[in-house]
Amino acid sequence: MHSLSICHLYPEVLNLYGDRGNIICMEKRLLWRGIDCSVTPVRIGDSADFTKFDLFFIGGGQDFEQEVLLQDLKGSRKQDLIAAIEDGRTFLCVCGGYQMLGHSYETAAGDICEFLGAIDLKTVAGTQRRIDNFAFRLEEGLGGQTVVGYENHSGKTYLGKGVSPLGTIVKGGGNNSEDGTEGVHYKNVFGTYSHGPVLPKNPFFCDILLETALKRKYGSFTLDELDDRIEMRAHDQVLDMLLKGRI
Amino acid sequence: MFRTVLAVAACKACRTLLRLLKRGGTALPGKVALKIDPGILEKVSAGMEIFVITGTNGKTTTSRMLEHALEEAGEDVLANKSGANLLSGVTAEFTANASLTGRAKKHTAVIECDEGALKQVVPRIRPRVITVTNLFRDQLDRYGEVMHTRDQIREGLRKAQDAVICLNADCSLTASLADEEGIADRPDGRIRFFGVDIPAGDRKEPELSDAVHCIKCGTRYAYRYHTYAHLGSFYCPQCGYSRPDTDTGVTGILEEGPDHTTVTMHTGAGTQTVTVALPALYNVYNALAAVTAFSASGRDPVVACRSLESVESGFGRMETFTLGGNRVQVILVKNPAGANQSVGFLSRLTEPFAAVLMLNDRTADGHDISWIWDVDYEGFMQNENMVRVFCAGDRAADLALRLKYAGGDEEKIEIISDPAQIADRIENGSLPAYVLPNYTSLLQIREIISKRAGHGAFWEG
Repeated sequence: MHSLSICHLYPEVLNLYGDRGNIICMEKRLLWRGIDCSVTPVRIGDSADFTKFDLFFIGGGQDFEQEVLLQDLKGSRKQDLIAAIEDGRTFLCVCGGYQMLGHSYETAAGDICEFLGAIDLKTVAGTQRRIDNFAFRLEEGLGGQTVVGYENHSGKTYLGKGVSPLGTIVKGGGNNSEDGTEGVHYKNVFGTYSHGPVLPKNPFFCDILLETALKRKYGSFTLDELDDRIEMRAHDQVLDMLLKGRI
Repeated sequence: MFRTVLAVAACKACRTLLRLLKRGGTALPGKVALKIDPGILEKVSAGMEIFVITGTNGKTTTSRMLEHALEEAGEDVLANKSGANLLSGVTAEFTANASLTGRAKKHTAVIECDEGALKQVVPRIRPRVITVTNLFRDQLDRYGEVMHTRDQIREGLRKAQDAVICLNADCSLTASLADEEGIADRPDGRIRFFGVDIPAGDRKEPELSDAVHCIKCGTRYAYRYHTYAHLGSFYCPQCGYSRPDTDTGVTGILEEGPDHTTVTMHTGAGTQTVTVALPALYNVYNALAAVTAFSASGRDPVVACRSLESVESGFGRMETFTLGGNRVQVILVKNPAGANQSVGFLSRLTEPFAAVLMLNDRTADGHDISWIWDVDYEGFMQNENMVRVFCAGDRAADLALRLKYAGGDEEKIEIISDPAQIADRIENGSLPAYVLPNYTSLLQIREIISKRAGHGAFWEG
């Protein structure tokens, strides 16, 4: 039996805006296809062997709690995470979890907060918070479908030269409300500002993550089709509202 | 003076007109009054003894309980029953109930106040008692994170130097407000705590907590026991910060029924057996909040305790109707903590029932509906007595999607886009129904159901 081992990093603090829905979604979509799945929470201070996991999920959190977390990210944890990324393991990182992958976060006062530096990107505090439903088109190599989600961030993220975004904004702010990009796609890391949670309403995106992780583990792998009518109904409803400007 | 008269007259006229038009407009009359006389609220509330209730969950029910207790004590109480709890709605309530010259006609008021509006409302009405029920994540896109909501409440409390402040001891985010600068320096007895002094409720460590780390030093809290969500007897193993002792506390749960809970409660006036005529632990917390506020004003808590036996629920809070011979209970659900309590209640029902979940995403609801993924619908979907679940509202498809991923029988889920059809289905069916709407969908469905069941419009109370 095929199986995936999922690591839910810092679930006790990075759990805003229904992001655990992403875990539920991945679990169910594996289960429905007869693929075994285990989810291991790794909390602040827990020791964990990251080479045991196929897929990592990192969500977003409150500013207050992110300070506590940054302490944990120093030292060996940092090296382990970078190694897992370079090793081609699959990551879904949302909002704060996405920003964390970059070099740093610059506060409004000009203070620089050092992050992981795993991917060439950085975030700067913005003056306005982007809060609303939004949509972006996945880059061509990922199938070009339109993802709908909910963004809620004041940080503006800028990708380094040659770093691919996850997609192009259809409606909303995305990375920085300036260059039309949203998220990052680096090796098998998928970073995005999309809450919502992002996966349930975008089942094709969930399947990209699962297939990427399964391919790395088993060589080639093709997922069975599922009945996604309810998923796409919810997806189309939001996209429709966005395009018509209702929300 | 002329301005005051004009403001009062315009407010009353506007309110009457809206009601004649069958609109339950509760904010506009207040906006009109404030426009004409920006100082109107100060004048029309002058000399009154005012209780303010704020916090994320339980504001309305706590207000109803407190209002009922005061009425049982023989007082005539002004209250913003319709849930219009921003500055404009509060202004409308006071102004419409004043004499034309702007004098208050009643002595006592119970005002439920939005967390964000507290700092605007409090300096104008100078409350005698302010009660903070709890702090949970709620409509995050409107308020931002829960710490931001807490900051808003803190600002409001700082502007109420004369008030007695009643805080939930079991909620670390709320209880710790007592130590904040501008709040802590009150004379003895001006800060009161209420809470559940024993393990109760689901007693589980929550999967999702809104307060994991010590607000003083950042260390992970430990708990002697949990009650529900992040509420319980928390303490910090590092700096020693811990749940304060209660002035009003539940010391025993004697009986938990489908429509009531009987507890032992210690108040300033000894310990008594108290029956709360509403089910579930969160209503025990609401009862504690109401009794504490009542006693903080110098009244005899025993009167408040006794009144809880005959309390009725507020607007859409466990309100009961009959449609086509079927019992319909409406339970407002607007954030994960409240939803988990209500959905948990349905998970344990032992009689066959139908459920209606409604979700709108309008401004008053918040555009972000992601919180439904923070709610544990799993037990609900797996309860064999749950025969059918209708998903309705602007985001019905999102609800259906959430339920699909909660497991159980997908065939039980049905999306209905027209709220009138829901009433038809309940009326023509043969099952008791539980309707769980969020805010604006409550207004829609309640109007339809109450009309058919022959109840009055909501502003008639």
